[in-house]
Amino acid sequence: MNLKRDISAQTYSGGVLAAFLTVSILNIIMSSSQTLRESVGVELLKLNETEGVANVVTTVVTYFRGFDTLGEIAVLFLASLGIGLMLNKQESISEKQRSSFVLRVGAQLLFPIILLFGVYVIIYGHLSPGGGFQGGVIIASAFLLLLISREDFYIPHSVISFFETLAGVAYLLIGLIGLLMFDIFLSHIIPLDVASMGLLLSGGIIPLIYIIIGIKVGSEMSHIAQNLVKRGEDD
Amino acid sequence: MIGIIVLAIFIAIVIIAMSAIVQKELASSVVLFMGVGLASVVLYFIFKAPDVALTEAVIGAGISSLIFLIALKHLKAQV
Repeated sequence: MNLKRDISAQTYSGGVLAAFLTVSILNIIMSSSQTLRESVGVELLKLNETEGVANVVTTVVTYFRGFDTLGEIAVLFLASLGIGLMLNKQESISEKQRSSFVLRVGAQLLFPIILLFGVYVIIYGHLSPGGGFQGGVIIASAFLLLLISREDFYIPHSVISFFETLAGVAYLLIGLIGLLMFDIFLSHIIPLDVASMGLLLSGGIIPLIYIIIGIKVGSEMSHIAQNLVKRGEDD
Repeated sequence: MIGIIVLAIFIAIVIIAMSAIVQKELASSVVLFMGVGLASVVLYFIFKAPDVALTEAVIGAGISSLIFLIALKHLKAQV
């Protein structure tokens, strides 16, 4: 009973805090319409015109902050490794409840569509919203759907580790080749043509980096999802 | 007009989040958490950040809620 009272007290204080934050954020939004013009975004938009990529966010994430992406890949790899170490068990699938007919058929129907959407988000990451990380997670969610609905579905560990290693090594290699050739990590080793901005084949190495990040994120999130779903229930 | 919609979504996010905390059933709490994510997707989209909106839809409303549901399933199997 004491616990319940504590929870409601926290809820009300959290609600007051949230209302305060909402009011202050709204105040900022309403009052700052004149000063918004003097932000860093204008400079980034100017810089983006020299890069030839239609989506400004992509340029910032993969090019201006390309080194951060290396760190993010390392973080994701460590998360996947930790979950794998804690939860990975070659468990025997025993008397698991069989999924219902609707779930199985629906998952089979949706799986290729979600996969296609993920690949689209990755490949068009430099033209439209989205990119490697989002597309990779969409692909992983397709596999997660299959893992939930079909109890006999299992992605072999060798396949996952192959794609993880391939993507990680390819990202580092592209970055290091740029470092060797132009003294800049992740510099444009493919010639950049600003005139082709907006086409699918534009933006130098940025689409290539996004495809690599997509493979990496997709395989690692699938690995995490598989470890979480297929964990033995007897421990 | 946009300001009214934004205000409505802000208030809805606060209400949904508070009701997610006070739910007795953990599964409905997770579903309401998903609703918070979806409302903020609309908010990001209105503020012209479609990349962030896509990320929030995929991560916040999709994968993290599913991971919560899987954890709930394991919890129920243990208890």
